[in-house]
Formats: sequence, structure tokens, C-alpha cells
Amino acid sequence: MAEYSNYSSWLNEMRSRAWSIYQSTPTPTTKSEEWRYTDLSKLFPLENISLEMNPETSTKRPTKEGLTETINTAGRVQFTDGLVTNIQLTPEMESQGVGLDSLQHTTHEKHQEIIKTNLSSHVLPPESGKFQALNAALWTDGIIIYVPKNVHVEMPIRGKHQLDSRNPSVCTRTLIIAEEGSHVSYVEEFGSDDFDDKHIVSSAVEIIAHKNATVDFVSVQNLGRGIFFQNAQKSLVHRDASVNTLNVNLGASLSRLDLNTQLIEPGANSKMLGLYFGDEDQHFDHNTSQDHLAPHTGSDLLYKGALDGHSRAAFRGIIRVHSEAQQTDAYQTNRTLLLSEHARADSLPNLEIEADDVKCSHGSTVGQLDPEAIFYLLSRGFSQQQAERLVVLGFLGDVMARLPRGAFKRVVKNVTDAVEQKLRHG
Amino acid sequence: MPKSELVENLDLDNYKYGFVDSESHVYRTKPGLDESIVREISRHKQEPDWMLEFRLKALKVYESKPMPTWGGDLSDLEATLNEIYFYVKPQEQTERSWDDVPDNIKNTFERLGIPEAEQQALAGVGAQYESEMVYHSLKEEWASKGVIFDSIEDGLKNHPEIFKEHFGTIIPTADNKFSALNSAVWSGGSFVYIPKGVHLKTPLQAYFRVNQERMGQFERTLIIVEEGAQAHYIEGCTAPVYSTDSFHSGVIEIVVKKDARFRYTTIQNWSNNMYNLVTQRAVVQENATMEWLDGNLGSKLTMKYPSCYLTGKGAHGSIMSIAYAGSGQHQDTGGKVVHAAENTTSSIISKSISKEDGRSSYRGLCKVHEGATGSRSNVECDALLINNTSRTDTYPYIEVDEKRATVGHEATVSKVGDEQLFYLKNRGLSEEEAMALVVRGFIEPIAKELPLEYAVELNRLIELEMEGSVG
Repeated sequence: MAEYSNYSSWLNEMRSRAWSIYQSTPTPTTKSEEWRYTDLSKLFPLENISLEMNPETSTKRPTKEGLTETINTAGRVQFTDGLVTNIQLTPEMESQGVGLDSLQHTTHEKHQEIIKTNLSSHVLPPESGKFQALNAALWTDGIIIYVPKNVHVEMPIRGKHQLDSRNPSVCTRTLIIAEEGSHVSYVEEFGSDDFDDKHIVSSAVEIIAHKNATVDFVSVQNLGRGIFFQNAQKSLVHRDASVNTLNVNLGASLSRLDLNTQLIEPGANSKMLGLYFGDEDQHFDHNTSQDHLAPHTGSDLLYKGALDGHSRAAFRGIIRVHSEAQQTDAYQTNRTLLLSEHARADSLPNLEIEADDVKCSHGSTVGQLDPEAIFYLLSRGFSQQQAERLVVLGFLGDVMARLPRGAFKRVVKNVTDAVEQKLRHG
Repeated sequence: MPKSELVENLDLDNYKYGFVDSESHVYRTKPGLDESIVREISRHKQEPDWMLEFRLKALKVYESKPMPTWGGDLSDLEATLNEIYFYVKPQEQTERSWDDVPDNIKNTFERLGIPEAEQQALAGVGAQYESEMVYHSLKEEWASKGVIFDSIEDGLKNHPEIFKEHFGTIIPTADNKFSALNSAVWSGGSFVYIPKGVHLKTPLQAYFRVNQERMGQFERTLIIVEEGAQAHYIEGCTAPVYSTDSFHSGVIEIVVKKDARFRYTTIQNWSNNMYNLVTQRAVVQENATMEWLDGNLGSKLTMKYPSCYLTGKGAHGSIMSIAYAGSGQHQDTGGKVVHAAENTTSSIISKSISKEDGRSSYRGLCKVHEGATGSRSNVECDALLINNTSRTDTYPYIEVDEKRATVGHEATVSKVGDEQLFYLKNRGLSEEEAMALVVRGFIEPIAKELPLEYAVELNRLIELEMEGSVG
């Protein structure tokens, strides 16, 4: 990388390359299988928003201070309109060599090296798709989380994305590298008010879990209406490592998740959880893939949601078991509750199996509230509304119950509160 | 003899329908397809003008539609279509007696056991050889009750009103590229009419045979089942083994009216040089039942998704399919159910076996329209993989637009368990016998629905195919 005089010119070079890919990649249409149920030309016509290659990154470095309160958190990151404004890490984590740094402003030489090797290249390159290229071109800031060998970060690192922007697009990136035998969890939350005009909020997440490492990643999206939340996540899982994800989608007008997990060495494992609750005219699209590329790998996906009002959800998931991946266990389940006459759910759970010694199954259901469960609660004195609320919470609670206990208590509470609030409005 | 050779020999022996009859025809078009060929076909059939216009319009639609890029590998098909014969007329007319069928053709069907089966267990038999039905006959008992079982050409000639009312309405020309092609060059197939309240006690059977090398067969079948009637139709298909590819593309349209019940059974056992791209659809009216029983054992590539459009309250659709993909084969099969009325129910059960480098794919649609309240659908797919080079895919599409509906899909993929084989070998079975027994158990729920002679045939085939599959 000698041709770049410094780190920031390397970043700029990378952005302009991504911008040219963005411009030459056609906008996906419903003719593409991956966009079959999401018609961007109707839901979010790109030509109506002015996107320009102007990475207006802040010159102001994020403030940085040690965390004093360490009960529930190992570190904190505050994002405002796509800029990292504050980073905090406990002194204990800092002393163990854990890195939590701004992608744009890092002056840490080792972090810069890791970023140059891994960011937007071999994990989630701009060639992955129109929006992956958009993010790689227009990201204003993001974070790198680096966990050295055998370091266990017991409590989650938390990221908070706040939006007040008038910008048509807000793009951020996350790069998580867990070295051999390490353990880390990151919880990011997106929130904003409603907007009258259209905005893209884009997030790109790249995770590499080396041998025997564990990464838990949670994303909770509760953005305001008017927003197209576009979220691409890709993980590389090495020998005996685990990457577990939970994606919660409650807000935004249109939300699209592209999630790909690559189990590249024996013993690699991934649990993939998803939860969504739609109302009014919200549209959620989940596009997931589980790639088994080595023997003795496992993956288990569970996506559950409830749809009220005129909301729609599409799920397209694929398990690909490549021919080398014998002794694979791969599972995939999508369940959707329709709460209103006008809600709609589409589900495409796909399997492509090229190895014979595997255990694979998938299931998908779309249906209404279980009338027997409602009847039971009514007979116990609950009102119709209370009974319905309880059944929905129980249905979705199944996903939250699979999170590791303790560390994620606060996430579970936040999500449950948000779902209850949506139910009250319904 | 080395084991590999032994296996090869066995595999060749498996396809016992691969014999070739000497070529004989009274007329055939030049290879390839253009407007003049469509006009030729229509002229030979002495069709009314509206049918010629229908064909010519369909040809334009066919030419305007791109080759599908999903499903199986169709990259060589374009070249194949330039070389095949689209119309081969084996004799002048459809005969009512086997005695009038030319000897060489009659012998072919005798070797396939058709006339014998007709005597014993069938209400009627149709036999298509190349492009035309050479034989069509219905037992007097049923003819006297008003049942019509004719070649499609005779259906058009003798029952023009009822023909025109339904033809091309269930599967429109532009439904897909191959329904358009069939609409342009269709020839042969059955016209079936079951009058109100008539219950056919024994099945009708149509048998499709391709003998000519580089042949395209385009049968077209129209079946109308009137209110409260019941019937069962069976089709079987075979062809000789050639080194060049042949092409079969049927369009099957069925209307099952109020309270009626109809079953359509297919045992497709084309030779492994056949492209088999078929469109089959039934419209199912109030409280009627449609059952597809679909067995895909042969062909090089099959793309076939029998479908039920449940348009009347309380209609029921069922699709049971079994696919076997051996070496060089891709079975891309499944089913479609569309719930468009209240309280409609459907079930799809699909089982597939992939062996060697065979690939079987389930592709299915379950759609519930808004307003189809109380609808229920259940889809179950099981795939069995025999070798580590075998492949299976599952591509279900579930689209639900109605809250008061219940839709479920489940699929599992497995291999024959070592414990199962170990147990059976313990009991004195050879590895191959054990394998065949496990596979038979796997397909049993569908095999038991087949007419006896087909169930026996399926089991025999599985047994043969399993020889040499282990070790």
C-alpha cells in the first residue's frame, strides 16, 4: 500500500472505486429472484433522492474517555448522523489490548493495517450488490472492534445510532475481528424520529471469527418512518468458531437485510435469529444465506414476525451445503403471524444440498393467532385484546428466549418494550 | 468383470423400454420450426380457421419469450429445437380397433403391455405414437353413458362447441414459453368429457410413445369433469434411447366442476435423452377435488409443476409426487396450489431420490389470495441422497395475503442411515437388498396410491437402480 501517502487517501481511493461500481450496477428489480417481493421502483425510487459522491466526513475526532460504569457494558460508541461522536472503552478492556476505534479517524497503526487488509475487500466487497457498493462509497464513519487472542470481553459493547439528519443518506460500517479463542459481543441500536421525506440509512457489517472465537452480534432497528434501512452483514467463521446474530426490525418504512454466513472451516457454527413486527404500510425484506463450505459445520436460523395493518414481510433464505461439507447440520425456520386482513407474508425457504451425509431441514408457516390459545386466555378472564397481546408476545418471545442470558437482559427488555408499544397502537 | 463394468451393464439393462422400432411414417415436416411448419400441421389436421390463427399467434408469443434461466440447464435446448421434427404422422387416422393399427406400431404397444391392460382393467385406452393418436377406444358401457374419450383432434372435430369453450382458457398461450410452443404445434393427446354424475369405475389410460430419433412430441389434453362426476386418468410415457436429444412438451388442461372428483396419474419414464417440459393445470370448482399423482423417473431434464387453481368454495387440491434422478438426470418438479376461494384446502407431498450425480429439485408455489378465508395448505418435502455426488434442492414459494389462513411447509434431507443398513444386514440381507428395502419404505406412502401394475413397476425399478449403488 506504499502508493498511498497516508491512511485517509487510501480510504478515499477505496470510496471512489466503490462509487464507480455503484454507478455501473443496475438498480435491482423484482425480476431478480433476490428482490422478487420488494419493488424498489414503487417503494423507494432511487432517482428521487440525490445521492452524490461527497463523503463529508467530520474533521472532528470523536471524544474518547474511559468508562467508569462497567456493570453492563465493556464499551460504548455514539453515532450521530453517521459520525462517531464518542467512544468509550473500560480501562480493563483497554489494558487487555481490545480495540474499539473509529474507522475514519483511527491513528492506531495496527488498526489501520487490519482495516486496510479487511475492510470492504474479501468479506463484503462493493461488488456484492448495488447497496453494498453504495455503502462502501458513501460511509462517513464506522467502528472497528478488535479482540486479541484469548481475550474474553464478557459484557457487550454497545453502539447507539442517533439520526436528526437532513442528509439523503447515512452510511456506516462495522468491522469486527475476533482473534483465536476470543469472545466479544456487540449490540447496535438505530433510532430516529419520523421523516416526511425519504432517507436511506445504510449499515454494512463485516465479521471475522478466527479459530475457536465467539462473536455475538445484535442489531435492533427502530427508526422512524420515511427511512429505507438497508443492512448488509457478512461473517466468515473459521475452525470451531461461532458467529451468532440477532436482527430485530421494528421501525423504518422499508427495511432490507442481506445476511450471509460463511462456515469455512470444520467445526464452524452459526445461530441466526430474527424478529420483526410490522404495522401500517411497513415493508420488511429478509434475505439470508447459510453457506456450508467445510465438513462438520452447523447453522440454525429462526426468523419470526408478526404483521399488522397493511404491512408486508418477505423472507428468502437459502441453505447451501457444498459437496465438501459432509456431516453438516443446517436448519432454517421462518414463521409469520398475520394480525390483520391486509397484511401479507411471502416466504421462500430454499435448500441446495450437494453432500449426502447431512442433516438438513427447513420449515415455514404463515398463519393467524392460535384460536385455542386465545380461547384459553379468554376463559381465564382476559379481554380479547389482552389475550391477543399475550399470544403475540409469547410467539415472538421464543426468539428472545434463545439469547444468552445475563449479558443481553437490557436488549431483551428494550425489544419487548418496543413490541408492546407497537401492539398497543395496533 | 470389474465391478464398475458390472454396474454399467446393469444400468443399461434398467431401461427396458429403450428398444427401437423401424421408422415408418406417412408424413413428416422438415426439421426445425417456422410459420410454414405450423401451417402444414394445421392443414394435415384439416382444422377450422380459428385454430390456425390460434396456432400462428402462439408461434409469435413463443418466439418473443426468452428461454427460462431458472430450473434446469436449457443451454443446449435451442440447438436441439433447430434439429428436431416437430410433426411426424405415423398413419392416416386414429383407429378404434387394434387390428387396424399397423403391425409394427401395434407390436410396440404389445411389448409395452397396453392392449392386455385394456382388456383387464381399463375403461378406455388411447395410444399416441410420434405426433398422432394411433388408437383410441372406450368401452361401450361408458360411451353409452355419454362419456367422451377421443383423440384431441376428434374432440375438436366432433364436439366443437364444448372444445372451444375450454381450450386454452385454463393454460393461456402466453403462460410460459413452452405452453406457447405447444399451442403453436400441438398434436395428439386426449379429449375427455365426463358427464354430470357419472362415476367411472376403472381408469382411462393414455400411452405416449416416441420412436423417431430427434422427435418433438407436443400432446395437448383437455379434460372436462362435469358436476358430481368422478374419474381417473393415467398417462405413461416411454421412448427409445438415442444419442441425440428429443423433446416432449405437453399442455394438460382440466376443469373439475362442482362436487366432482378427478385424479390424474403420470408415470413418466422417458429415456435419458428426453427434455420433458410440461404444463399441467386444473381449475377446481366448488367442493370438487383434484388429485395429481406425479411420478418422474425418466428423462434427461424434467420441468413440471402440476397445479390446482382452487376457485370454488371448499375445493380441495392434492399433489403427490415422486422423483427419481439417476446419473445424468435432473428432475425439477413440484407443484402449485392457488387458493382463490373460501375454505379451500390443499396438500403437497413430494419425495425424491437422487443417485450418483443425479439432481432432484422441488419447486413449488402455495399462494393464498386475500379473501380466501379459512384456507389451509400443507407442504411436505423429503429428499433422500444415495451418493456423495448426488444433489437435492428445495425451492418453495409461499405467498399469503389472507389473515384467516394457515400455510405450512416442511422439508427434510437425509441419507440412508448406516444404522438402518446395519440392522437389516444383521438380519441377513445383503447391502443392496437392505438399501432397496429402505428406499421402498421411503417411497411407500406414494407408491401405495399408484395403480397396482405401476406400483409393482416402480418397486422393480427401484430395486434395479439400487443394485451397484453401494460400496
